[in-house]
Amino acid sequence: MPLTTVAEGRVYDWSHAVGRNAARGPGFNYVQSMCLAKDGILFATNRGNENNFGMHVNKVRIGGPGEEEHLADFCEYGEGDGKCIWPFGVAVDGNDHVYVSDDWQNTISVFDSSGNFQRKWGKTGSGDGELMHPAGLAVEKNGNIIVVDSGNNRLQVFTPDGRFVGKCGHGGSGDGEFNQPWGITLDKEGNIYVADWKNHRVQKLSPEGKFLMKFGQYGSVEEPEGSYPVTTFGPYVMSGSETAGYPKPGMLNHPTDVAVDPDGDIYVTDWGNHRVCVFDSEGNPICNLIGDAQVLSKWGQQTVDANPDMAKARRRVRSLEPQYRLCFPTSVEFDPATDSVIVADSQRNRLQIYKKVRDYSDFQANL
Amino acid sequence: MAYQDDIALMAHLMRRAGFGAGREELEARVAKGYEATVEELLDPETQPPVDAYTLLRYQPASLLPGGQPPMGNVNWMYYLVNTKRPLEEKMALFWHHVFATGNSKVDNYDQLLQQIELFRENGMGNYRELLVKVAKNPTMIFWLDNQQNHGTAVNENWGRELLELFSLGAGNYTEKDVRECSRAFTGWTFETKIPRAPYGRFPWRFEYRPEDHDDGEKEFLGHKGRFNGEDIIDIVVQQPACGKFICRHLYNFFVADEPQVPAWPIEAPQDQKAIDTLVGAFRDAKFDMKPVLRTLFNSDFFKNARFKHMKSPAEVVASTLRMVGGHELPKPGYGELSMQPTYMGQDLLNPPSVEGWHTGKEWINSGSLMARINFVAEKVGDTSLPGVRAIIDRIKTKGSVSPEQLVDDCLDLIGPVEVGADTKQELTSQAKEWGQISWGNGNADVADQRVGQMLQLIAATREYQFG
Repeated sequence: MPLTTVAEGRVYDWSHAVGRNAARGPGFNYVQSMCLAKDGILFATNRGNENNFGMHVNKVRIGGPGEEEHLADFCEYGEGDGKCIWPFGVAVDGNDHVYVSDDWQNTISVFDSSGNFQRKWGKTGSGDGELMHPAGLAVEKNGNIIVVDSGNNRLQVFTPDGRFVGKCGHGGSGDGEFNQPWGITLDKEGNIYVADWKNHRVQKLSPEGKFLMKFGQYGSVEEPEGSYPVTTFGPYVMSGSETAGYPKPGMLNHPTDVAVDPDGDIYVTDWGNHRVCVFDSEGNPICNLIGDAQVLSKWGQQTVDANPDMAKARRRVRSLEPQYRLCFPTSVEFDPATDSVIVADSQRNRLQIYKKVRDYSDFQANL
Repeated sequence: MAYQDDIALMAHLMRRAGFGAGREELEARVAKGYEATVEELLDPETQPPVDAYTLLRYQPASLLPGGQPPMGNVNWMYYLVNTKRPLEEKMALFWHHVFATGNSKVDNYDQLLQQIELFRENGMGNYRELLVKVAKNPTMIFWLDNQQNHGTAVNENWGRELLELFSLGAGNYTEKDVRECSRAFTGWTFETKIPRAPYGRFPWRFEYRPEDHDDGEKEFLGHKGRFNGEDIIDIVVQQPACGKFICRHLYNFFVADEPQVPAWPIEAPQDQKAIDTLVGAFRDAKFDMKPVLRTLFNSDFFKNARFKHMKSPAEVVASTLRMVGGHELPKPGYGELSMQPTYMGQDLLNPPSVEGWHTGKEWINSGSLMARINFVAEKVGDTSLPGVRAIIDRIKTKGSVSPEQLVDDCLDLIGPVEVGADTKQELTSQAKEWGQISWGNGNADVADQRVGQMLQLIAATREYQFG
């Protein structure tokens, strides 16, 4: 079970995990999306559930191993200003304002970086400027906000105060068409990448919304005989086999998010296949990251330390490998400041962080 | 009239083998034919599976919901409402009632949902194979303490229930058989699982520990040998009592209400001939369930059993939500919606005991009856819901209807539901107070409302509680 993933011209080292299962406070509760702000600050939307009503946005400082810090919770469950029913997309602009889409109320709420409510806009519908199940958000260089208007299968652009600027796309599976898209990111040229969820692909559009490229085709994780199904829908674990049941590179099953690093490499959270697929800038598959969390996060370790029965049970488990693996990852970000790939491991309520190693030299084979 | 009978019969089949059907679907199925519909129901893989990914996009916590309601219930309710394989889901409900396993002890809806998936996948397969899978199912092992059944210290909980409630019924085995049966299942346990903290739940896996198995000779139901668990199941399914017990369960669930299970040793079935027919099919098919279900649904005793079955709360809720429509997406509030059967006395994934629920007239008491009526009335009275609108639109094509027509049309389109003369008179008397209903001259809103109100009144009748 290697911690280093080596592929043609690339090396990814698993670094650490951040988080634990928590409806509020230090931890996450079914992250739907996340975004990086300055100085290693990360905002994440949490879907929660109808028992804990832990829907909220949290603000976390990532740091290195063991350095994570919970800074704030805001945008909690509710219908009034500053509340959300189903928080989904999140993005931060150049003024450190945080934009949050509400998948159910069809609104975009704006907060300052401390989580204080500023304003909101959004009206249910399919006309210009109207929203239906808004998902991912991205901020353009000029400060405008691109909203993945998922229920209307299109992207819409708004000014920071919510005035409609433009739109592109409609329902379908052709070029520039979408089927319930989820996450979005922009590269340094402002090109737009969209996780076209139900079309099982990623589309790249120009800053003006013109179709440029698509990649990915449907392929689903399968249950190998004798494997351990971590959930009814995978992942499947077979001791010592990192390929257990995973489809070939380049195949996607309901992708949820995209990130692009400064080299142009593209990271896709392959949600239904429980992995992150890495593609080159042309959309050719390079390798997969399947989750390698062999070390508990700081908050996770604190939980175990506080529960002797949990610690005891963990020592009796035949293999902890099922815990290493990603399970329905929803969101991915690349932090150029630390060369980190940050993955929201949604069903495990944590982040898994890999480092893109640029100066890796191989070790002697006869060590 | 013959066509109307066909519609009524198809509605009966779809209520029992599924969770009801709207008029458009009933008409399409009548055009296809009764036996062809039975075959389609028996071959669920011809229909697409439920889109679980949509559920997990909107309600991700329903995948591994842990020990607290309602997210486990959300998961199953989504399947009940959306399935295009209604008999597959109905059989999952059937086996959940027979192999009743509950969250009150398991404290883990993940494991219970995994068991429901087992029933979904194997519920129409071979009963002997299903019994083996259930015996190896960690949720059942924990529920009936078989992880504490050791070669040197026998725990009889699983062994007893296997015989009493899962296969033969009381009176068809001795205490010695229970002991010997339990000895055969020693060493059938599960691995330690990764605990729930800090990252959420992980599943159990079955484990056979030969060193903990009592490999000695056993004497069981007249057979002698060094039996292991599967040998015991092979002997059990060959017992005449086994077919009778399972087929009586099928009759009670799909045909007409029987006394509660504990009374079966002393109360004969109401239709012994029907049970014998089913038992014959069970035996001839070597315990395959599909031929038994085919025999059941095509039989006269089934076709003649309309409204001889009290709808279970799960049937009330799922059939109402499917009929009125608009609940296909797992929207906010689905948790409360999915707990409705609980409020009516059927806490899905958490039956009151290993015996399952008491059925038939025992579903009804003053509280549960009000819960049933209020739930259905709220839904069928919402004229914005697509299924209710479809009923209104059909009546609306007549332009205007008399009070008698309004009653007849609503009874027809919500079922058809058959009511007694007294009930019909009450309904008509109310409709007469409203007078002629017309959609012309700006009266459309009032007319829509009257249809909704009549549907609400029908939902409150005694007859509507039967399916």
